[in-house]
Amino acid sequence: MSNSNNCDNCPVHNKENLIKLGLNMEQVDYVITMAGNPNTGKSTVFNNLTGLHQHTGNWPGKTVSRAEGGFIYNEKRYKVVDLPGTYSLLSTSTDEEVARNFILFGQPDVTVIVVDATRLERNLNLALQILEITDRAVLCLNLMDEAKRNNIEIDERALSKELGIPVIPASARRKEGMKELLAAIEEVAAGKYVCKPHKIKSRSIKLNNAISSLASKLAEQFPNLPNLNWVALRLLEGDNSIIEAVQSGELGSINAGDSTVQL
Amino acid sequence: MNDTHLKERENILSEANKARWDLGIDLHDTVIESIYEDASRIARKAVKQKGEKAAYALDLRIDKIVTSRWLGFPIMFLLLALVFWLTVTGANYPSGLLASFLIDYMHPILKGVAASIHMPWWLDGVLIDGAYLAMAWVIAVMLPPMAIFFPLFTLLEDLGYLPRVAFNMDSLFRKAGAHGKQALTMSMGFGCNAAGVIAARVIDSPRERLIAIITNNFSLCNGRWPTQILIASIFIGGLVPAQLASVVSAGAVVGIAVLGIFFSLVVSWGLSKSVLRGEASAFSLELPPYRPPRIWQTLYTSLIDRTIIVLWRAVIFAVPAGIVIWLVANVHIGELSLAEYFIQWSNPFAFVFGLNGVILLAYIIAIPANEIVIPTILMLTVLITGANGVGAGTGVIFELNSVGDTANILHAGGWTLLTGLNLMLFSLLHNPCSTTIYTIFKETRSVKWTVVSTFLPIVLGFMVCFFTTQIWYLFFV
Amino acid sequence: MITLLTVGIQSGILFFLGVVVVLIFFWIFWPKKGLIALFSKIKMNNQRVQLEDALKYLFDCEYNKNLCNMNSIAGNLNISDDSASQLIERLLVLGLVTMDDNTISLTDTGRSYSLRVIRVHRIWERYLADETSVAQADWHNEADRIEHFVTQEDTEKLAAQMGNPVFDPHGDPIPSIDGELPEPKGKLLSNLKKGVTGRIIHIEDEPRSIYEQLVVEGLYPGMQVYVTDVDKGKTTFIANGDECTLTPLFASQITVELLSGTVPLAPKYELLSSLAIGEKAEIAGISPNCRGQQRRRLMDLGVVAGSLVSAEMKSASGDPIGYRVMGATIGIRKTQADLIFVHKKNDTNE
Repeated sequence: MSNSNNCDNCPVHNKENLIKLGLNMEQVDYVITMAGNPNTGKSTVFNNLTGLHQHTGNWPGKTVSRAEGGFIYNEKRYKVVDLPGTYSLLSTSTDEEVARNFILFGQPDVTVIVVDATRLERNLNLALQILEITDRAVLCLNLMDEAKRNNIEIDERALSKELGIPVIPASARRKEGMKELLAAIEEVAAGKYVCKPHKIKSRSIKLNNAISSLASKLAEQFPNLPNLNWVALRLLEGDNSIIEAVQSGELGSINAGDSTVQL
Repeated sequence: MNDTHLKERENILSEANKARWDLGIDLHDTVIESIYEDASRIARKAVKQKGEKAAYALDLRIDKIVTSRWLGFPIMFLLLALVFWLTVTGANYPSGLLASFLIDYMHPILKGVAASIHMPWWLDGVLIDGAYLAMAWVIAVMLPPMAIFFPLFTLLEDLGYLPRVAFNMDSLFRKAGAHGKQALTMSMGFGCNAAGVIAARVIDSPRERLIAIITNNFSLCNGRWPTQILIASIFIGGLVPAQLASVVSAGAVVGIAVLGIFFSLVVSWGLSKSVLRGEASAFSLELPPYRPPRIWQTLYTSLIDRTIIVLWRAVIFAVPAGIVIWLVANVHIGELSLAEYFIQWSNPFAFVFGLNGVILLAYIIAIPANEIVIPTILMLTVLITGANGVGAGTGVIFELNSVGDTANILHAGGWTLLTGLNLMLFSLLHNPCSTTIYTIFKETRSVKWTVVSTFLPIVLGFMVCFFTTQIWYLFFV
Repeated sequence: MITLLTVGIQSGILFFLGVVVVLIFFWIFWPKKGLIALFSKIKMNNQRVQLEDALKYLFDCEYNKNLCNMNSIAGNLNISDDSASQLIERLLVLGLVTMDDNTISLTDTGRSYSLRVIRVHRIWERYLADETSVAQADWHNEADRIEHFVTQEDTEKLAAQMGNPVFDPHGDPIPSIDGELPEPKGKLLSNLKKGVTGRIIHIEDEPRSIYEQLVVEGLYPGMQVYVTDVDKGKTTFIANGDECTLTPLFASQITVELLSGTVPLAPKYELLSSLAIGEKAEIAGISPNCRGQQRRRLMDLGVVAGSLVSAEMKSASGDPIGYRVMGATIGIRKTQADLIFVHKKNDTNE
């Protein structure tokens, strides 16, 4: 436990990429990241998990601030990265790109998606986009107290079944649901809960054909890539960071354990 | 990676490009729509609305009042007036306390310590009379109002009221080519322009955000209110019988603040029609549900995020300013000090604008903080008039407890009603303090816009002072 | 000592000088008509501009399978026949065009040169449309001006930043870096037969007077049209519930992509701004005239086809209006609400 590279069996994925993204990966067992719409109480959840002892830093070269913190749960050390609050991950704005790239290239062990229970439908827009990128996520259904006040009832089990990830109701302001959230994070991080994330079903046939044709070509080049369809769609949308990642072959470095590929 | 790989990767990209032509221009829209379609299908399965939306109905009732045609604006003005009143009255006492501790108590002690260790007089002057005094001044004048104003403002923000203000005010700002949220950054600017510039982050449209940043300086900040009040009571209040003096001078100060709002709107309009015409513009304003604010968290974060950061930057800039102030008054070339040289040399130029060399010099060396303008002016006036028995020594900035004594010094320095009026105008319309300039650069990341925001108000200020003076001469002399 | 009189005279002179300085300042910086604007206009009227414009025009002819000669070049570039022949001489010397009888056509070098210019032009048009608030009518002219002096690198950087667009705001494809361009798609509206349903994919922006009238008619790319009658060359069609008749000259400016099978006629939509407080509606879409960040922001907030919206409250000054969409209240200005299409709902339950 003395050295930083002690973890033979600890499943931090993609350490090189995380370090490249500016994370100090010493003494960390799992990296989790938090994403969500603005004004959903994401930072309250973050502060609850990390106990307000976070230090804030800046993304290198970006004006968007990112908070980092950590906690220990069941003797595992977790690093938490709070992404800027965004409505979507598909636009060209800087903070959306920051969030998108972190989830894609960083491949965090768990992505905690914080949503506002009173506006679930709109918040699911971002949640579904995240599930297209990553397979390991937990949905934190925050502001449940507000939802109750508005007589909104949410069937968590149905939601969890639809999304294919754990769904934890919480009221972060009252510190409710945090224990359950921690437990769910651990289960997903340790691989005890295997997510079967929802994939978008409502696309047109024409688009789906274009996606699968590109995805099969991508598969030849990047056999380990976990989210081929999503990458294909990003190419069809002209996403420049993905185009560059394809050009340089960097995309091939996104997968667990492959440490031979550098840049 | 070898060449064939590279080639194949390029092929993938070129195929993607061709497919995009085929998929049509509205691909992005359909992608988003398909996600929402899934989202709404899932939401329909998982979410049940049982009975009435009680909390939302309450929200809506509150909204109907605070956004109503008749009550909307009065409620807003009352709340903002309350915030300002609490700030001004609440800050008086702690400000006095800090001043008497840092300036009246600590300063002599430090001087004593310096004397006891036989510090050379110039080092003692630079460090204690210059750097320390300027820093103490900035802290005493700046800290208490900010520590009251920002938490109050943040409470209104957390409560959810501020977005309603933006909602109500948007119509006015839209006509000026700006965003309703600029009402908030402007109000924030009345506390501190640097904080107002930071607050412009809430405006997510590039053009409107730039406009809010550039025009924030027209909000009369906390550091300039004391100057306005002092000069107004000496020169404007002096015009009317004593019992009316305080009302009239208060009216004059409010008039200057309103003039600032007027300039802010006019300049916003001008910018949006000229240099910023091409910048992208997008309006979005979410009206979040009302939420009971969490008092302690708010106090903590607004103290850390706004007050301390802004104060720290101000102190950093004030220290060198204090040193410069002391040096210009004490470094002599031949008979005269640097300050006297500059004042004599710039007087003819300054008179054209109805100002004088002392004011110009004070505004140049007090760029770091508007708070030290008046003390610097007093020190310099004493320096050039050679008045005896007032002040604390060459190059030592000071302020007097009695308005009458201050008036005497200024009159001795040749000040007239016109000088006073122009100083009030110039105090409204001059370059932002260095903290604000630095903040503007940090927020915009653009030298160009920083330069524009710095020089636009000062050019305007000279223009306004010039015409005021010349019209004055034409009609009153 | 200065006497009061001289002070008066002096200040009068100074006042006058001040006014003059301010006037000069405005004369120099006034947009479009000021001195600086004048200089930049003069600067761009040089030979290279003419040459590149000619190449663009030649490519346009080739793409639309028209023939092109000296007269049509002179006409298109608005120059005299003399200058046109000099220009063609220069193009021949540079190896950019060949001349066969009277017909002028591009060489491979000339084609790739012109594709480069077109790429730059269309990317900049897209940029002006999406990322700036330059008026729609000025995109084309502004891009025409910019395309001649920006560098290829700057344009590519811009394209990358925008997500590598493949269409310009008029619906025309942007050539790829390697000079690829898809075959023209669709049919001219003037060639459609009665009973055909299609979708507008392109509205030609030159000549400007015709383009402006089509815009006034409320036609835009993406709109569904259904041809009800073709009589003496005039085409009558239904677009958004309204009947519209165009002469061949106007109808030939519009390119339509045919929709196969029986497509149900899209019902007529109304504008979001027409909702009274308390009224509900289903969103039908956002007008293509709402672009760039503004469009993205609205979609982020849940303004997408199919979602329900209700007008909830007016601001104290009447505009903007608060609308409830997907559980959140958002303020939308009248000018934006005019660009959002809805179908009103009469029932009161959700």
